[in-house]
Amino acid sequence: MGEIIVVTSGKGGVGKTTTSANIGTGLAAAGHKVVLVDTDIGLRNLDVVMGLENRIVYDLVDVTSGNCRLKQALIKDKRFGNLFLLPAAQTKDKSSVSPEQMKTLAEELKEEFEFAIIDCPAGIEQGFRNAIAGADRAIVVCTPEVSAVRDADRIIGLLEAAELRNPKLIINRIRPEMVKRGDMMDISDILDILAIELIGVVPEDESIVISTNRGEPAVMDQGSKAGEAYRRITRRIKGEDVELMNLDVPLGIMDKLKKLVGIR
Amino acid sequence: MTRTEHVALKGTREGLVLYFDPTADFELLMNELDKLLKDSVQFLQGAAVRCYAGKKEYTEDEHDRLATVLRQHQLELAGWLTTEEVYVPGQAKSYAPDDKETRLWDEGMAEGSSLFVERTLRSGKSVQFEGHVVVLGDVNPGAEIIATGNIVVLGSLRGVAHAGATGERKASVSAYHLAPTQLRIADLVTRAPDEENSGRGPEIARIKDDQLIVEAAGMNGWRGKVR
Repeated sequence: MGEIIVVTSGKGGVGKTTTSANIGTGLAAAGHKVVLVDTDIGLRNLDVVMGLENRIVYDLVDVTSGNCRLKQALIKDKRFGNLFLLPAAQTKDKSSVSPEQMKTLAEELKEEFEFAIIDCPAGIEQGFRNAIAGADRAIVVCTPEVSAVRDADRIIGLLEAAELRNPKLIINRIRPEMVKRGDMMDISDILDILAIELIGVVPEDESIVISTNRGEPAVMDQGSKAGEAYRRITRRIKGEDVELMNLDVPLGIMDKLKKLVGIR
Repeated sequence: MTRTEHVALKGTREGLVLYFDPTADFELLMNELDKLLKDSVQFLQGAAVRCYAGKKEYTEDEHDRLATVLRQHQLELAGWLTTEEVYVPGQAKSYAPDDKETRLWDEGMAEGSSLFVERTLRSGKSVQFEGHVVVLGDVNPGAEIIATGNIVVLGSLRGVAHAGATGERKASVSAYHLAPTQLRIADLVTRAPDEENSGRGPEIARIKDDQLIVEAAGMNGWRGKVR
């Protein structure tokens, strides 16, 4: 039986899609059979980030409404034979899928795949409820901004209300030099409020913009700092104890991050 | 403590004490007593109870009725207390009719029904309660608590708190880390100061002289752990 992981945030633009693409690709690179599911119906992006836009024939809504079989809608990734994408519909809206349909789909995906990564839309409405309906685990993405932290807090509350306990946190787009100057929230500030387990810190990195535009997830780029962060997150999701993280001393993470920056 | 309008049952160090309103009709007292005991009898079975009704004296018949009612609830009438014997904790005064109003007022803030919230209140969560609210966790920005009584947060209070929401100016808000977005007590409102100074230890906010003030809560012995 596979595991369904939803990537969510509440606020838009914090990097849910980028995170989904990188975690999915990272897990596939490690040899797991993975499917990425884009639930942002009407505003689909994951296919673009993965560079698979021109291969879409059927989409999520076609599957849930019975227009096609699941296998027909799944798009095989360019480089990994064990990585698939189930794209969102672009011409429909969030109400074309119900949480019950998502649960049924999740059961079907679990039979076939080791991991299903669900890219959740921004917001707390129907799209969010659909995305979390079939999930076993949740990853909350947050940037070091007060507004993003506030929304993440709300999302964690809603996840708990939906019985999705112990969501994990990824802090994205952190700029160590700004934190050092005191111009940006640091990790302990964020953890103070959200009080959930941190599984990764991704530094702001220009290579993300480049890789997103190219449709090649940064996790495959050995020279990218963000890619390295996503590789570590991937290993942590698999249950490995990766060194970078020490939850008791959040400052230690920063130190290691700085070291990381210094080396490159 | 459990109480009805004219009858109150209190546990003291010397045992259970029943307080009667001396001005109330005896029938009424018995009816209320019966109702009161029905609700709480499981906890009390077999206990001895002493009664107090100020200077009021009841007839032999009434005395027997009282003993009967108590016996029906497996309680034993152990005697009467005089004004001197009665132990009244805190600000609560004796049950004389002239200061009854103020006594109820005082106890309204010191006692009463409470809601325990055993988790962190996250953004978007609203807790409203008639009585006191105790949060075993944090209250994050974007969350709110509205209580007619006091609010106690065993954690960081960063959201909105409104104590004494129906106008009780004696209500207080206390927290291990008091840094609310907005603090309201009764009809007064304050914002948090713009600069964030952490590590102050537990604090309590209350109204003094028409002003909402914040002071360190007297828990010096417990302040060892500085954040």
